[in-house]
Amino acid sequence: MNDLLKELYQEIILDHGQEPRNFGTCENHNKSADGHNPLCGDKVHLSFYLDENDIINDIKFSGEGCAISIASASLMTEKLKGMKLSEAQSIFNDFTKLVKGDADTLEILNDEDSLYALKGVEAFPMRVKCATLAWHTFKSAVENK
Amino acid sequence: MINTAKIRKDFPILDKKILNQKDLIYFDTAASAQKPEQVISEMDNFYRQNYSNVSRGIHTLSVESTFAFEEARVKVQKFINASSEKEIIFTKSATESINLIAQTFAEKNINEGDEIVLTTMEHHSNLIPWFLVRDKYKCTIKFADIDKNGHIDKEHFASLLNDKTKIVAITHLSNVFGTETNSEILKLCNDRNIPVLLDGCQSAAHLDIDVQKLGCDFYVFSGHKLYGPSGIGILYGKEEILEQLPPYQGGGGMIADVTLDGATFTGLPAKYEAGTPPIVEAFGLGVAIDYVTEIGMNNINNHETELTKTALNEMMDLDFVEIYGTSSDKNSIISFNLENIHSHEVASFLDVEGVAIRAGHHCCQPLMKKLNVNSTSRMSFGIYNTADEIKVFINAIKKCRDFFKK
Repeated sequence: MNDLLKELYQEIILDHGQEPRNFGTCENHNKSADGHNPLCGDKVHLSFYLDENDIINDIKFSGEGCAISIASASLMTEKLKGMKLSEAQSIFNDFTKLVKGDADTLEILNDEDSLYALKGVEAFPMRVKCATLAWHTFKSAVENK
Repeated sequence: MINTAKIRKDFPILDKKILNQKDLIYFDTAASAQKPEQVISEMDNFYRQNYSNVSRGIHTLSVESTFAFEEARVKVQKFINASSEKEIIFTKSATESINLIAQTFAEKNINEGDEIVLTTMEHHSNLIPWFLVRDKYKCTIKFADIDKNGHIDKEHFASLLNDKTKIVAITHLSNVFGTETNSEILKLCNDRNIPVLLDGCQSAAHLDIDVQKLGCDFYVFSGHKLYGPSGIGILYGKEEILEQLPPYQGGGGMIADVTLDGATFTGLPAKYEAGTPPIVEAFGLGVAIDYVTEIGMNNINNHETELTKTALNEMMDLDFVEIYGTSSDKNSIISFNLENIHSHEVASFLDVEGVAIRAGHHCCQPLMKKLNVNSTSRMSFGIYNTADEIKVFINAIKKCRDFFKK
């Protein structure tokens, strides 16, 4: 099997793509947003509860899409749950660099991080939008008043 | 029969190795066709030897450019058998051609309460221009049903036509199913004197087109799907209708006389070609038309229909492949899904095998909803494809199924 495909579809990606974690809608959320990739039709709905200390308490997503977009959303919710908002925003920046092939300049993420599994996307530029859909949805939820 | 081995030598890109190792198998001609050496080198030469602006200069280069530009128009006219070269308008894309007609036709003919008839399988470029008209003129759009193979339901279509129907706009060859619109559908419109726009984006590269026999009032297609350059679209319109419609864009080249109080407009086709047109692109399209005409549209059609049958038969034997539309009159396009694998995964997997296919909604979101799928994969054939390539493809989708098996 081709190495690029092995990189792209690591075990953890296939696992999260087929059995996404934190799937659904948070009952008590105060932040939410819808993301849509009009080029391919992938959709994601993200909701979370940001507490008074700016900690992301509970976070869930729902939607439909390819293995990369679903796995990325699933891994993102696992990563962000319990995290301070400012740190989450830094990770957003790092993650975007990671999938665009700019892994040398990461500030927080390292290769032991589960999100690092999506590094394989860098060889498939047309799939970057799949991998970042959930993250852009997160960003717009944060910006939603 | 066409000589595929000889044709393949005309397409430099077919020598490319994907990811430095796999032979390119280009099954995405429905999105855009590859370009033969003839088109590439003659356009290059045009820039080197003849290029200037058209229609307004006195000097030698302007004359040469204008001559080549107008010669290309005549090539298009003959290619689709329009009765006059005045009926051929150069645009930047088929999308612009449809927008041009939607806007100008509506301004002249559509009022509140009038009706437009489309089908549920139209490409977004034959939906949204009419949505804009609906919003502006408060008219109604009715959508003809299709069957599971992409054939328009004739009875339902007929039931939508009435005295309020001002125009019908439908695809000539579906970009999802590859099925051709039945001539009886056009006859129903002709019998009621309802103008018809045919979206010929897919048909122009695969069928022998005769707009007069087809019975359409407008026919649009693009250069890039016909082995020509991008940036050039064609609008064919019956002269007596185009004469009556108002201008689309204002600018240089489309005026007869201008004062500071107003302007009078020139006749066809310049009336619809404001601004410097895509000069070399029009010329390149002319070269592409020469190229396919020499091979013969009927030969091309036979070759591609044969490939479609071969692929369809092979794929129907595979229990993990769902095919959208399996009728035998499919031409050049097969949409499918592999069981439990998103089309993105299929496209990325095949890409690494060297096979270029399309994945997504193919600019047909309403149709995807109707088929109850999020997206599909689509393979489409051109003059350079071979049965051997289909074998590689079949092996590749088997490998893809195994790779993603739980």
